Amino acid sequence: MPERKISRRTMLQGVGAVTIGLPLLEEMLTTRACGAPQVNIPMRAFNVFFGLGIPAPLQQEGFEGVLEPLLPLRDKLMILRGVDQIRCDRPGINAHYDGATGAFTAEPPDGEAKAGGASIDQMIRKTHYPQGMPPHLVPTLVAGTFFRRSRVGRYVHSYNADGTVAAAMQESPRDLFERVFGTVAVSGDESDLRRKRLKRSVLDAVVDQYRHFTGETSPLGATSRARVADHLERIREYEQRAFALERDPNGPPLPPESRVVRGGEADPGGEGIDITLEDLTTEWRLLADLYALAIQTDRARYGALTFLAAGERIRLKGKYEYAGRTVFEFDDSAQRGASGSNGCSHEWWHAFDEKKRNEQLRAHAHLKMREVAYFLQKLASQECLEANGKTILENSLITISTESGDGRHNDVKRELSGIFHAVSGANGRIKTGDILDLGAEGIDVYNTLLTAVGVSRRLGPATREHQPVEALRT
Amino acid sequence: MMLGRNERGLARRTGMKTFHQVLLFTGWMFWVQPLLAEETSNGGMRTRTGLQVLYAFDSIEGNILRDSSGNPEPVDLQIFDAKSLRQSAEGLEILGPTLLQSANPPRRLLKAIEEAGGMTIEAWILPANRQQTGPARIVTFSKNSSERNFTLGQDKDAFEVRVRTPKTSTNGLPGISAKASSRPSTGWTHVVYTCNRQGQAKLFLNGTLEQELALGAGPSNWDATLLLGVGNELSRDRPWLGRLRLLAIYSRALAPEEIARNFQAGRELNPPSPKELLARSQRDNALLFETRIAPLLSRHCLECHDAATQVGGLDLSRMLKSLPPAKQKAVWIAGDTRKSLLWQLVANNEMPRDRPPLSEADKQSLREWIDGGAVWSLDVIDPAVYQHGSGSDKVYLQRLTVPEYIETVRATLGVEIAEEAERLLPRDVRADGFSNTAYNLTVDLAHVEAYARLAEIVVGRTDVQALSRKYTKSRELTDENITKVIKPLGRQLLRGPVHSDEITWYCGVSTSVAGAGGSFEEAIGYVLEAMLQSPRFLYRIEHHAGTGEARTLNAFELASRLSYALWGAPPDEALLQAAEREELDRAGVARQVQRMLQDPRAAARSRQFLSEWLNLSGLSTLRPDEKKFPDWNPALARDMQQETLACFDEIVWKQQLPLSQLLHASFTYVTPRLARHYGLPMTSALKQARDDELVRYDLTDVPSRGGLLTQGSVLTKGGDEASMVTRGLFLLHELLRGVVRDPPPCVDTSPIPSQPGLTQRMVSERRLANQGCAGCHVKFEPLAFAFERYDGLGTYHDRDGFGNSLREDGHVLFPGEEQAVQFRTAAELMQLLADSPRVQESFTWKVAQFSLGRPLDAADASVIVEIHRESQSQGGTYTSLMTALLTSDLTLMTRTESNLAAP
Repeated sequence: MPERKISRRTMLQGVGAVTIGLPLLEEMLTTRACGAPQVNIPMRAFNVFFGLGIPAPLQQEGFEGVLEPLLPLRDKLMILRGVDQIRCDRPGINAHYDGATGAFTAEPPDGEAKAGGASIDQMIRKTHYPQGMPPHLVPTLVAGTFFRRSRVGRYVHSYNADGTVAAAMQESPRDLFERVFGTVAVSGDESDLRRKRLKRSVLDAVVDQYRHFTGETSPLGATSRARVADHLERIREYEQRAFALERDPNGPPLPPESRVVRGGEADPGGEGIDITLEDLTTEWRLLADLYALAIQTDRARYGALTFLAAGERIRLKGKYEYAGRTVFEFDDSAQRGASGSNGCSHEWWHAFDEKKRNEQLRAHAHLKMREVAYFLQKLASQECLEANGKTILENSLITISTESGDGRHNDVKRELSGIFHAVSGANGRIKTGDILDLGAEGIDVYNTLLTAVGVSRRLGPATREHQPVEALRT
Repeated sequence: MMLGRNERGLARRTGMKTFHQVLLFTGWMFWVQPLLAEETSNGGMRTRTGLQVLYAFDSIEGNILRDSSGNPEPVDLQIFDAKSLRQSAEGLEILGPTLLQSANPPRRLLKAIEEAGGMTIEAWILPANRQQTGPARIVTFSKNSSERNFTLGQDKDAFEVRVRTPKTSTNGLPGISAKASSRPSTGWTHVVYTCNRQGQAKLFLNGTLEQELALGAGPSNWDATLLLGVGNELSRDRPWLGRLRLLAIYSRALAPEEIARNFQAGRELNPPSPKELLARSQRDNALLFETRIAPLLSRHCLECHDAATQVGGLDLSRMLKSLPPAKQKAVWIAGDTRKSLLWQLVANNEMPRDRPPLSEADKQSLREWIDGGAVWSLDVIDPAVYQHGSGSDKVYLQRLTVPEYIETVRATLGVEIAEEAERLLPRDVRADGFSNTAYNLTVDLAHVEAYARLAEIVVGRTDVQALSRKYTKSRELTDENITKVIKPLGRQLLRGPVHSDEITWYCGVSTSVAGAGGSFEEAIGYVLEAMLQSPRFLYRIEHHAGTGEARTLNAFELASRLSYALWGAPPDEALLQAAEREELDRAGVARQVQRMLQDPRAAARSRQFLSEWLNLSGLSTLRPDEKKFPDWNPALARDMQQETLACFDEIVWKQQLPLSQLLHASFTYVTPRLARHYGLPMTSALKQARDDELVRYDLTDVPSRGGLLTQGSVLTKGGDEASMVTRGLFLLHELLRGVVRDPPPCVDTSPIPSQPGLTQRMVSERRLANQGCAGCHVKFEPLAFAFERYDGLGTYHDRDGFGNSLREDGHVLFPGEEQAVQFRTAAELMQLLADSPRVQESFTWKVAQFSLGRPLDAADASVIVEIHRESQSQGGTYTSLMTALLTSDLTLMTRTESNLAAP
């Protein structure tokens, strides 16, 4: 018997004084890498999004510039410059939204809350699990720390084939915790086995009805059948939690309530919010820790994580330090000399001028890279070593992207060109350890990634000739 | 035989458009079609009199075999396992077991034959072999191997026909058969079966009568639930292999001479005349224009070449009317792309300028349209019509929104669950302006958890004993007794009859309770929990599996549509009974709508519409800059919300005025607090009211106020700086249904603050003077000029914070119009908007979108025009609009998806 241990340390290290209640799940009893060489490495795919982008000229500075926080991960990532998403432009719609919805889908949006097609992670999920995910797994995990919410595509980055969102957004660490690790009490008194048995029979009747509407004799069309099938998949998950999992009675309590505003308050009329650097990063890191733990404990294999929305409007305040030095003192409102939306960091992107220092934009972009790197590091730790001796980060296909390659709203071509991307190695299927200037379309990059991980279907129009980006393939 | 993806897409869209044309002319065709049929019946030609269904096997689109009879409600057949089929000039070859099946019972066919009391089946058949038995089903109107209306099949070397009549069995026995072996074994056989009103059945092979049988009665007792199938039994256990070239079904017994003539006419249908070919080509070109070219021009060209901008003097929104004839010809020459300037510029990617070039598919369509005659069949191209495509091929079922869930529980069980439902259920996210947009009503684990928990709470609050006693006095925990409760309870909760499978599932729950020693009431409680989590409770299930064309809703589907559109609640007993009695035809629906409009829930639902449309809930998160607005009181946000709702209530329900009066009312409702904020003189009623009490306020002497647009709920949409761009865009999108695009190159979009000597109006006018901005900004920014005197929170000022004098005059450019209309005051603009047909039409579009739960697209446009016209003729009120909408085909019918389309 291999030695087993509960791997929660990763998360608990990250949350400092915060204590988190974890249920005792079979999935959390991970097998140590050593002594288990035959274990298959599961296919995983996640999309990591950060808002507002990095202007293409700043990407050229490599790790010397705003990409500096990715330097410790350089061997495990491939940095991609010169990726164009111009095909994602949809006339009449804000380019923040176009670019954001096109990230990971390479298609323009199709409505306010719909992408133009599937995202990379869902293409892979459907290939590897055509009949749905095993019930102990969260089918798709979508989470993020963000405030701008006028359109779903600004912050959700995992989409079904019909362009609808693949899963509900988990906005706070507590929501995410419940989504991944929560159990369901089906009875007021859990020891009341009779009641539990009867609840089970109710659920059986419910499942029968959903199966009828997804089966051959269903009166529904294919689109609605898929929607009901999604519902059934969630019922299966509910069933698993209600009747198969047990909460660890000695586990610490839930994460605390968020300190940052949520819902409509987070986006008051598009005017932006004031937030301190500490509040922002505390919230994000707690979320990132939990998301990483969900992956580490094999509760999630597909999904998307967002650090700040497309066109995010915050007025950030606080001293930003990195590697022992002060990078910048954020105070957007004062530095902009304005309140409301005009005082938000967003405006630094509109005011970008490659002939100037762009000090504030650089600091914000550097911060975003630091926080993205924080999440990636969680999957690259020793605790994340798998049976093949590689970390989860190396074994997964993690795609990092954003909405634009230039924040000035005055040239769609320029705005949707040169969009920063980075990818992890997908267990040796993708090259890493370099910076590539691709000069390729996002659709070709994404389809190349899909081909590399065994997905035969392609994103984009069927009639379009695929132009593989060989530089990515090992 | 399979068409390419693009061709299939076009075929689907074309079909959709054709369908809507058919809708408009259904009544006409119903009466005129028999006369047309007589016309084509002459020497050498095939008879068409009484023709109900015709398959020529040369019109397969995707996985659909089209009925080419030309009748309304065509009986198209869906193909299962298309790999087993091969199409050629020799017809359709069935190579392996498959089935071509109608999506719905072909009721028109059934009705026509039953009313006529006679029928004919005609087919050209070439069996694959002579060993097939069963009989193997060539064409069948049936359910399984023992229930049929008719079947034509092959049993070894004989053709056999069975027909249900009052004198034959439900299996159609006795049947009639004739051996094909007496005919050349290698050739095709022309098989004709006839049966007249007296039940005289005859079977003809190759024009010759081979067999006769007196059935005693003609077809009059057919089962209306059966489906039409080709190539197999509907239960898929009697496959037939071979070739089919023509299959026709008539609602009369053809005479022997007609049968002989059809035999002589051969396997080919009548070739169209040159005149018919030309007309067909013109129709196809017009269809291409409406489905592909108009959207293409809208998307790629009208930004610079609409009526307002006309760059280079070219307006492509109308048929080149702005150009002199010589220049018109230069733009395009019908039938000749090589000489058409438009084509040359597009083909060379010179147009659209500074935008991505057209895709190859779009270019191909444009070329096809010009070469095909460049038929221009619309008065004007309205970009708003094409914003959401030409007709979606995806049909989403509707999940109950949170308010609908609450109301459904309240209406069916009398249980109040609002507090828990709002707490436990995830919020429904807005998409395309409303939170009931079906495609966005996804589910997550949190929903499943919440539905289970809420079901438990609801059952806990239900007097289960009293509920079950309504249906049975017995407390016996047997299937028979529990079913007495399941059926009527399910009828209420599931909004229609309970099916036998469902009874079995619910009885399974009660059996578990019985096994655990539970009581009858306990069993009912658990059954109720299961029903409250059923997809039929949580979703509005409609039959969407079909051909990709629209279909008429069944009575229960329609009842739910009506009640949720009008009340946001399930059908009440009267509506369910009307559905059961099949009374929901158009007139019956109109009667129900009039009754339902009297229910207070109709007013509540209309307030939901208004709140969603104007996003009134956004007021609760208003956080104006404290430095700029130190006197702001968050309670004012609630007052603004209440003001708008109260005005709406008075106009729509108390006074029953046209909806357009919302824009130009001479009264409002304010609290004393809001009146002070607005700077309104305090009336005696206000002085006596509590600070949070709404009071009706006469605005006759207050020229600065009146109508929605002067209320805080709308004025705050411009943000703290009262952005003219944001306010103008709001008006353009929500009232004028205008479409504008991204800012053009080389423009700094950073807001410019006011300063001494520089008002926001002046900043705006600078933008309008800039050629790069004016093209789009002229369409919306001048609308906001009228509101410069209202600050970001709606307070009225003559001067801004820098002492600059503020104005309210401007001009409005209605979409599609060439000339702007001037206004001197905000009140004048309000009057212009209220009187504008475009604005009135926008109310129709918005209400229809909310009622249907999906954005409207080009395929809806013609029906919306009819709804609007009808509503306006009845006064343009909310109630007239709902009546017109709910009795229209937009409500009475639903789109379907091809059964075989991938999700």
